[in-house]
Amino acid sequence: MAENAILYDSSKCSACKGCSVQCKQWNMLPSSLVKDGYEFTGSYQSMSDLNGDTRLLIEFREEDTTSGIEWAFSRRACFHCTNAACAEACPVGAISKLDDGTVNLDRAKCVGCKYCNAACPFGVPKFRGELGVSNKCTLCNDRTARGLLPACVKTCPAHALSYGPRADMIAAGKKRVEDLQAEGFDKAELYGESEMGGMHSLFVAKFGLDAHGLVRDPKAPDSIALWHLLKPLTGLGVAAVFGGLGISFLTGIGYKRDASNVGASKSEEEGQ
Amino acid sequence: MTNHFCDFKNADVILAIGSNNAENHPVTMAWVQEARAKGAKYIVVDPRFTRSAALADIYAPLRSGTDIAFYGGLMKYIIDNDLWQKDYVKDYTNATFLVNPAYKFDEATGLFSGWDDKENKYAVDDWKYQVAEVKPWNTGLDPKTGKPAATAYVTAAGVPKFELPAAKVAKKDPTMQDPQCVWQLMKKHYERYTPEMVSKVTGCPEEKLLEVWETFAASGAPAKSGTILYAMGQTQHTYGSQNVRAMALVQMLLGNIGVAGGGINALRGEANVQGSTDMGTLANTWPAYMNTPTAAKYPDLAAYLAGETPGAGFKTNLPKWVVSYLKEVYGPYATFGNDYAYDMLPKLNKVNHTHIGVFESVSEGIVKGMMCWGQNPAVAGPNSTFERKMMAKLDWLVAVDLWETETMQFWKAPGVDSAAIQTEVFMLPAAAHYEKQGTISNSGRWVQWRYKALDPPGEAKDDFEIMHELYKKLKELFEAEAGPNPEQLTKLYWPYETDGKSDITKVARGMNGYTVADGKLVKNFPLLKADGSTACGVWIYSGYYNNNDAPGDPTKQPTGSRLKDDPGELGLFPKWSFSWPVNRRIVYNRASADITGKPWNPARMLVEWTGTEWKNNDVPDFAFKVTDPKDAKIVLSWIPPNNTAFIMQSDGAGHLFGLNGMKDGPFPEHYEPFETPVTNLFNGRQSNPGLTFGKAASVKPGDPKKYPIVCTTYRLTEHWQTGGMTRNIPWLAEAMPKMFVEISLELAEEKGITNGDQVRVFNDRGSIEMAAMVTPRFKPFDIDGKTVHQVGMPWHWGYASGYATGAIANDLTPNVGDANSSIPEYKAYLVNVEKA
Repeated sequence: MAENAILYDSSKCSACKGCSVQCKQWNMLPSSLVKDGYEFTGSYQSMSDLNGDTRLLIEFREEDTTSGIEWAFSRRACFHCTNAACAEACPVGAISKLDDGTVNLDRAKCVGCKYCNAACPFGVPKFRGELGVSNKCTLCNDRTARGLLPACVKTCPAHALSYGPRADMIAAGKKRVEDLQAEGFDKAELYGESEMGGMHSLFVAKFGLDAHGLVRDPKAPDSIALWHLLKPLTGLGVAAVFGGLGISFLTGIGYKRDASNVGASKSEEEGQ
Repeated sequence: MTNHFCDFKNADVILAIGSNNAENHPVTMAWVQEARAKGAKYIVVDPRFTRSAALADIYAPLRSGTDIAFYGGLMKYIIDNDLWQKDYVKDYTNATFLVNPAYKFDEATGLFSGWDDKENKYAVDDWKYQVAEVKPWNTGLDPKTGKPAATAYVTAAGVPKFELPAAKVAKKDPTMQDPQCVWQLMKKHYERYTPEMVSKVTGCPEEKLLEVWETFAASGAPAKSGTILYAMGQTQHTYGSQNVRAMALVQMLLGNIGVAGGGINALRGEANVQGSTDMGTLANTWPAYMNTPTAAKYPDLAAYLAGETPGAGFKTNLPKWVVSYLKEVYGPYATFGNDYAYDMLPKLNKVNHTHIGVFESVSEGIVKGMMCWGQNPAVAGPNSTFERKMMAKLDWLVAVDLWETETMQFWKAPGVDSAAIQTEVFMLPAAAHYEKQGTISNSGRWVQWRYKALDPPGEAKDDFEIMHELYKKLKELFEAEAGPNPEQLTKLYWPYETDGKSDITKVARGMNGYTVADGKLVKNFPLLKADGSTACGVWIYSGYYNNNDAPGDPTKQPTGSRLKDDPGELGLFPKWSFSWPVNRRIVYNRASADITGKPWNPARMLVEWTGTEWKNNDVPDFAFKVTDPKDAKIVLSWIPPNNTAFIMQSDGAGHLFGLNGMKDGPFPEHYEPFETPVTNLFNGRQSNPGLTFGKAASVKPGDPKKYPIVCTTYRLTEHWQTGGMTRNIPWLAEAMPKMFVEISLELAEEKGITNGDQVRVFNDRGSIEMAAMVTPRFKPFDIDGKTVHQVGMPWHWGYASGYATGAIANDLTPNVGDANSSIPEYKAYLVNVEKA
């Protein structure tokens, strides 16, 4: 099956947040019901970061330059990496890669260990406290499996989002970067072509990666190599603990009931 | 709009001024980007760097309220650099017409001739042409065809008798050299608007002004089109209507009216505000923008028809639209004998009945009861502090809305002593737009039928049902108990019921028009008559609901059509909804071709004369053929091209010199906003002499010494109007939760304010607190060497909501109005700011 990808063009984005609201509606994710309980970020940004109930966030970064204001809009959500650190870190296989490149998080399998939260170089998966599971974009695979566009792509009124075969999205992204550079945006770059083995959510950064808050040369944490060891070790360790407990129960080794001191003392007292 | 949304893609240059289209009409960006993909430039002019500016090719800052300075400079630039579209201006505008020598403009006083200081208004008699000949109204035969003249209809039985106006044909100078010709007068008027002066007044650097002007004026080339997108940033000023006039002048100079990718395009602020103004809900208009009669000026129908009907042009048909309208309102009761019940309709008097005027009338004890129908003046009204106080003076208040709004709760707002308020408040829950059917008209004049998806919850009713029940009950009471002028209501023609229930499709039929005798829907307004045989509620809509085979079925009416045919690929989509008038998508489209009928740009052909006949992609806006009266498909003859491109004007020309209709001047002139820290540098008059309510006690004008900071209000993508709908939806409340004021880094430093601090913004009308958003997207203006700070705030917050509440921005805005429309000056006024 061909790999598909989302292409986000920050140079066409009007930061209307239709995508982030639509994501919540499609995925039935809540917003706070506490009156006036929302944070004020000091900018047009809705909240400081993704959270257990928010998979998609539009970020605002403004810079005053000699040639005018550079207001960089960024669509922040899971990048669906080929070498997904979260999938590697997950000890229970709740995060898996689908054939089309989607990195899916199955809530039903998640045990809430938050290893994925720590492993992701972008800090994307977030914990949903009350439900005890982690939360991130699933590339609307419930929609794409039926030939529908991801909800954010479908709703974008400015046509800043597109979705299709990854090779096509990369070509379109590169062309867009070329056009932007011709217009004078010399820092324009395409993000996601080869990062993390290649990502399935690509980003045309109008003002360059740094202005848009994108991590240059992202890497999974070094410890993830350890987790390769740890996972089977943990598994072994877990097995060993249960195995050991079971053996001691069956054999009674180390636990002599008739040698209990408490009961003896009492009867000694009472026997006085 | 003269054009429409999809048409933006045809533009070579797009100027968004007084419009933040990316934020407030997000879908427009798709069309703008399509134009840009073909090489078009997108220019944004705004006091603040908005999300639209972020996507623009050129951004130019401009102090709030200085748009006429900007346009005046642009016009001077176009004229001085010879960039005006010469044939267009000469052939289609009144540039060559000679003006009455008594017309003057005095720079020292800032007044046009005719100002009456006592009456506080202009006598507009000087603002007229020199007359070459007077052509009386033709009630006989047309000398060219030998058949009855089109205007001879007035002699038929049943047509009200009125003094038939003559057509005054203007003297002209085709060389445009005569100092009294419009062209020379216009050049002279805008001589003062040099780039240096405009920069001083607007605070926009000269190089930036020139960059914008050069880019936009390039659309003066015959094959090029430029479009202007505007919204409340233009209209909500004490000279808002002159701002719009200024755009019209610019676009006529550049030959951009009537062409694809051109026009002056108002991006309207509500989903169906276009429908509401089309249908005459404003105090000073009847449906279809006919003027509401003033009792003193038009005591009877004859006076109204004589005064409102011009001597020439398409509007000589006005009596047909008036009589047909009266027949729809009063039905069988309206007869030739009683002037078609003209006397029954309410007339204007000396009182200003616009929004501001209504609250003044409450303060004077004239208005005792009020219905706020889908409106929330407690948050949206200018000087809302005052408006909420006035609500406490009412005996009763009815508010119809989807949520409990601030208006419904005015009596228990924070800080209010409810015990002291005697107003009885009724809350009527209303249906949302998907819980009822009917039409919505978009900014592009497209009228589309919408359908009901589900029943409204609980006791909520759709507005028409509420109106219908109200009418029936009032009729019952008036018939039983009489009272003042009961027949005004009891004689209303109201056949809008089916099986005892309100039926809006019957209203639609009434609006389309029909022949009275058999109730058959008319095809469109050329078939309307002045003799009482036709009825039509909204003549400009006629044709939108005209299918007699299925009168109860909107899906089979033009307004219900949803086909995507696009002849010429210009985005016209003639089968997608109905565009008034007569499904014409781009008005004044005769001007899209030269005097011989050859399109200025063949790739954007709207109409074209082949030499023997007319070809067209859009419905032509001029008489182009004579058809068989029995079968409209048979063309008897084609009418060769002439120069009548603006058929609603009696002279058929676009008016550079505005000789009728504007109360405050035939040429737009810069005045300062009512509250300003700047002395007018363009003329000796500080503010628009014609502005309304300047002397009302409630206004409490701000002294610039106490309140030196310019303030403006605006909207955001995330919220809708006063926030009832959006602050009650958690996803949207979360998207933009807090009220804020945007402040420049410089002003923040002066006041010791850091980003996120609570601040107080205040003037003599009110005092509100909110978070400060310190940003470089606002910068201080250099106005003639003096630093003028500007701040701005959204007006989406109020105290009534389950999720996100906040301060009411309009507590600070002034209740003073535009000279022509009395629209409040929400966009420029004075405040001061301090840390809270």
